[in-house]
Amino acid sequence: MVFTSLDFVLFFAVVYAVYRVLPHRPQNWFLLAASYYFYGSWDWRFLSLLLGSTVVDFFVGRYLGRETAQGKRRAALVLSLIFNLGMLGFFKYFEFFEESLAALGARVGWHFDPLTLDVILPIGISFYTFMTISYVIDVYRREIQPTSHLLDFALFVAYFPHLVAGPILRASLLLPQIERPRTISALQMRSGAWLIAWGCFQKMFVADNLAPLVDSVFGASASPGGADILVAAWAFAFQIYGDFAGYSNIARGVSRLMGIELNVNFLFPYFVVSPQAFWRNWHISLSTWLRDYLYIPLGGNRGGVWKTNRNLIITMALGGLWHGAAWTFVLWGLYQGAVLVAARAISARSEAVGLRIRGGLSASRIALGVLMFQVTCFGWLIFRAESFGQLARFTRLLFTDLRPTMATINSLLIPMLMVVVPLLIVHVYQARRESEEAPLQLPLLPRYALYGAVFWCVLLWGSFEGAQFIYFQF
Amino acid sequence: MNGQPRAHSTVFRRAAIFVVVLLVQFAIIEAGLRLYSKSEGSTTFQSLFIDDPAVGHRLRPGTQIRYNTDEFTTDIAVNAQGVRDDDPIGPKAPNERRILVLGDSLVLSVQVPFAQTFCENLERRLNAKGGATRWRVINGGVQGYGPVQDWLFFDKIGAAFQPDVVLIVAFVGNDAIEAYDTAAALKAGRAVETEQPAIGRLREVVRASVTLQSVRLRWSQLKARFSTGTPERPLTSYLANPPPEVAAGLELTRDAFGRIVTRATGIGAKTGIVLFPARFQTDDPDFGRLAEIVRQFGDTLERNAASDRFRQALAPLGVPMIDLQPALAAQPNRIELFFQRNVHLTLRGHDVVGGVLFDFLETSGLTAPGR
Repeated sequence: MVFTSLDFVLFFAVVYAVYRVLPHRPQNWFLLAASYYFYGSWDWRFLSLLLGSTVVDFFVGRYLGRETAQGKRRAALVLSLIFNLGMLGFFKYFEFFEESLAALGARVGWHFDPLTLDVILPIGISFYTFMTISYVIDVYRREIQPTSHLLDFALFVAYFPHLVAGPILRASLLLPQIERPRTISALQMRSGAWLIAWGCFQKMFVADNLAPLVDSVFGASASPGGADILVAAWAFAFQIYGDFAGYSNIARGVSRLMGIELNVNFLFPYFVVSPQAFWRNWHISLSTWLRDYLYIPLGGNRGGVWKTNRNLIITMALGGLWHGAAWTFVLWGLYQGAVLVAARAISARSEAVGLRIRGGLSASRIALGVLMFQVTCFGWLIFRAESFGQLARFTRLLFTDLRPTMATINSLLIPMLMVVVPLLIVHVYQARRESEEAPLQLPLLPRYALYGAVFWCVLLWGSFEGAQFIYFQF
Repeated sequence: MNGQPRAHSTVFRRAAIFVVVLLVQFAIIEAGLRLYSKSEGSTTFQSLFIDDPAVGHRLRPGTQIRYNTDEFTTDIAVNAQGVRDDDPIGPKAPNERRILVLGDSLVLSVQVPFAQTFCENLERRLNAKGGATRWRVINGGVQGYGPVQDWLFFDKIGAAFQPDVVLIVAFVGNDAIEAYDTAAALKAGRAVETEQPAIGRLREVVRASVTLQSVRLRWSQLKARFSTGTPERPLTSYLANPPPEVAAGLELTRDAFGRIVTRATGIGAKTGIVLFPARFQTDDPDFGRLAEIVRQFGDTLERNAASDRFRQALAPLGVPMIDLQPALAAQPNRIELFFQRNVHLTLRGHDVVGGVLFDFLETSGLTAPGR
């Protein structure tokens, strides 16, 4: 039941109608039941994992809250981490590591038949597992108090707007909103509706229209030139952005209609001029999670240049692996880590010689922004590649055969621009005001013109096939 | 006291402004699409068709258009008799034998030049055999036709072309469903209006607007998902558990084709049936994508189920029949047989189908002299 499907529209209409007439506690019970139905609509079997994770971490949290002996607390934390990461590791990575081990073994002459378990990846497991881990760690660190209501905790984990593709919420943000009665203002209704409409535009108009262009280049039977690959990488950059940012905005909008605020997950990530800024603006809930629960515990930037670089590489490599059980994702993470390390070195050298990028729309800033986008797009090439072989071939073509053909222009570049330019026009306005909700402040006529344009774009050119969101597979 | 009425009037005023904005944008989009649209909703493409009281709609006699899309640009000519051809169909010469091919857009083939269509390809192959007989293959395909329209077209128009062989091309993807939807026309023996006059007028308005046609397409997609629990109705013919409409549609198809066979026999013509597969039956990535969509709806998409069901349903007619799917699936680089977006045959696809049909006509005895 994806957000852009008719099934979800019906589901939410019923849920919302009932939700609005219930008092606070029954609202929570009802939302929990609706969330389990929502999750179960993919595969009822995986509800047991969700319930298991909920029960285990609720009681571990309670134990950590009342226990004072540090050794016992640490043991409880380790047990919770083993449970959560074990579950994630088995369902997401078991076959990947087994096959990788078998392939490695075959290279050194050691043959074994991998177990064939046909493990299916439970949807959203990467997201809710990270949420429960963050809850347990926050309680362990005594940064938050554990909740004493299993219902509230269960709703925190399973709340359907964030359940299958994030944002990865912190208990400190969501639990208080679950625990206290909620009010819904007219402004929340208006801005929630705008976020849903804008998210549908990003997903159905931008991402779903770019998907066939990208697939035509990355498909098994394609034989693209370097220019085709370059344009396809640009297109994929906007496809994955439209897909994921669109999902996040619909999730935020749906939740806001119910009076619950979710955190911003994307903030114009392609308008930045440095890799650090990119990761402050791209999948913010994941990058801050990795920062708080991996990078800083590893030592962060406290141990000198070498250790900082090591920590960055480890964090980004594991962040890459979080995206999927494939070595291309690990390579993408390593690439992002290397880019961050290189950017830190360049930044330090530039400051040492007194070089500074001026603010505003200076030529140097625009040039740096364009360069940063190309660096990001090469990362997306690694991310999207079907195999290392394809990645190597595409990389070679990028540097040896960059002449565009008429087909490149007519079949890739122009269709891509027709989808991306409207997005960028609105984004420029939003970015100058640092909010995707900025259009709500426009004067009446331009605002209505924008609403109308979004409506027509989705209705006439959006995909109505209910295509899956890319991030569901993570 | 009067705060609420004022609030209401503000809401109404704003709603009115928003409606006006939408209408202005609609007018701009409509104008833009009329000038630049490359879809089948464009006025250029729609000018190919006229309403016909007997058949419903048909090709407009004497029309010539250039149809331009992202994937192809084609000059299309409709002759005075209302079939796609550069030349009129005059009296039959003594040494001339004619094959009339009935079907939908897959036969009409607006995606390729006339000379490259499988009908013309077949005609060239037949005439290349030599001998005194000159073959003429008449392209009787019309966009949007189903089995019932095939029958009506043949009965009212096609039979007058004096064919010696009638080839009925059944698109297994949607013909069963289309037959089910037009059952009333089969019963009446002519096109019938099955809707209220107001709906008929609304339909005319929608047909006149490129924008509204796109909206209608969206509505159909949504309605189809609501009514059958599958993303598109044509896919129902391939489901492991098809709805009852499919079986009923197959029976109606047999009925319509049976009438064509009887009528053809009456004018001394032989009949053959060609089962035309959907692209995904030969295209693995396309099949995977659609199978996943169907799986989400709790059913299973079976790649050749529709072809098998048509073969079984039409076997009692006792006429030669060929399923194109095995031949197309056996081709190297079969992904190139169909356009990616348009899902109709490419030049190569037409060449392959022309060859397969030639072999079919030769081996089935349809082109042999005599009845």
